[in-house]
Amino acid sequence: MSEIKKATDNVSYNGRATVVKGLKSHANDPFFIKKAEDAKAFISKVVLPEHLKK
Amino acid sequence: MNLPHYNYKTTDFQEYEFYSVGPKGVIKKIVRFQKIQEEPVIYNLAFGDQDEITGDINDAVTSNNEDRDIVLATVSRTVIEFCDHYGDHFILAKGSTPVRTRLYQMGINKLIAEIRSDFDVYGFTGELLHKFETNVNYDAFLVKRKNRIFDHK
Repeated sequence: MSEIKKATDNVSYNGRATVVKGLKSHANDPFFIKKAEDAKAFISKVVLPEHLKK
Repeated sequence: MNLPHYNYKTTDFQEYEFYSVGPKGVIKKIVRFQKIQEEPVIYNLAFGDQDEITGDINDAVTSNNEDRDIVLATVSRTVIEFCDHYGDHFILAKGSTPVRTRLYQMGINKLIAEIRSDFDVYGFTGELLHKFETNVNYDAFLVKRKNRIFDHK
């Protein structure tokens, strides 16, 4: 029952982010570094249509 | 976009965390927006599960927590909040594998009406970019928030 209550409390319909101080940044985490590298490699191969560059 | 979503928190509006709750337990999710290009500015949306014990993040495991729609709605909310704070730039989303990209697409298909109310949605097939259609399999997705009309009354 407590699990159900916990799940219900965790869901919103129009909530905004809760801003907390000092949440650990993962900017230098290997997972995210690799994700950025992969995304850069992918985007370097494509050309956006001119009308989308504006 | 008033779909059920998990409560999520942030410090800098560039990175967000929330908890998926389901049959597989409580799984911590991290969403991070990474600038990958200038002119035009494109951010990558990176997203993974964090092991609470090791701290390792990965997206190789399918959680099977039976809450995919709530998770995707939560990620959509973070996109909106990110744009509120960093501007309406292009945001790239690509799964780590074709299977995962397909899972993302299934989620997008389900939410497409809601997503299109706020965003222009495109899909890549190979190097080509197209307007998103639900019956096409894409390699990656690009979204950009539509121009907003502000009411200054």
